[in-house]
Amino acid sequence: MGEWSRSVIPIARGLCLLYLTNKYLGTTVITYGPSMLPTLNITGNLVLVERISTRTGKLRPGDVVIFRSPETPRKIVCKRLMGMEGDQVTYIVDPKNSDRCKTIVVPKGHVWVEGDNIYNTKDSRNFGAIPYGLLQGRAFWTLLPRKDFGSLAPKPR
Amino acid sequence: MRQWKIIAKEAMARASIIGKFLCLLHVTDAYVLSSNHVLGPSMLPTLNITGDVVLVEHLSHRLGKLGSGDLVLVRSPLDPKKTLTKRIVAMEGDKVTFSLDPTRSHSSRSLVVPKGHVWIQGDNLYVSRDSRHFGPLPYGLIEGKVFMRVWPPSSFGLLGE
Repeated sequence: MGEWSRSVIPIARGLCLLYLTNKYLGTTVITYGPSMLPTLNITGNLVLVERISTRTGKLRPGDVVIFRSPETPRKIVCKRLMGMEGDQVTYIVDPKNSDRCKTIVVPKGHVWVEGDNIYNTKDSRNFGAIPYGLLQGRAFWTLLPRKDFGSLAPKPR
Repeated sequence: MRQWKIIAKEAMARASIIGKFLCLLHVTDAYVLSSNHVLGPSMLPTLNITGDVVLVEHLSHRLGKLGSGDLVLVRSPLDPKKTLTKRIVAMEGDKVTFSLDPTRSHSSRSLVVPKGHVWIQGDNLYVSRDSRHFGPLPYGLIEGKVFMRVWPPSSFGLLGE
């Protein structure tokens, strides 16, 4: 019994430290899907996400962020932040069919997110501005695939 | 020199015990059970205006076992640094009928709560700012379910319907 606990305790400590890092410093996230082309691949990217900017409120339009989906609460979604509260956002309502634009002011306590691939994305143009409390982190570095290794562009395209 | 080394070692040992205890406390607080001080008039007569200490459990919302009539602690959609305590009136897909201002008129509106959202209202409809003002609340903003009050001692007990 003593020997067994001697090897479990360092593992438990390691997991504890890993959990705290994951929750408060940063984590890695695998993204997939076409909504952030060409910034992120359709087949999957491993990105580094930091959680400090969301807690201190130091996010800026142009940052790639991950957030809990307002429609499916168990899903984490990755899009680009386009407007903070109080900003005026102009967006193309339906780029496949027409060029009509709409301008709105982002309400208090909310942010506006859009995918880089506006032709194939579900974002704030579909579900509206999302409450700031749903944001989980800011993606700032791509780890895999190797050819995309590097910082995620701070401005769209 | 050796004296300092011994003292430093003992200090590290004591600090690591405290560190482990705080770690356990944090995990329990975030994932199992925590306490919260709630105040304000929006939940009269269920919760007092001067302030109550309630116990909040963080398991039900992760398992999806929340339903209408539950008291919940949510992060405010208007100010992400604040948390609110309100009651779930309708879950996603339910039709909710409400009147914006019960003092002024009897007119009411209804809508269907969209997918992934809940409709919350304070028990004191006259002064509460809730889903009637900021719309349906995304489920991801729910932080826990309030199930018991521990202070003041005269109102100690489970909080239910």
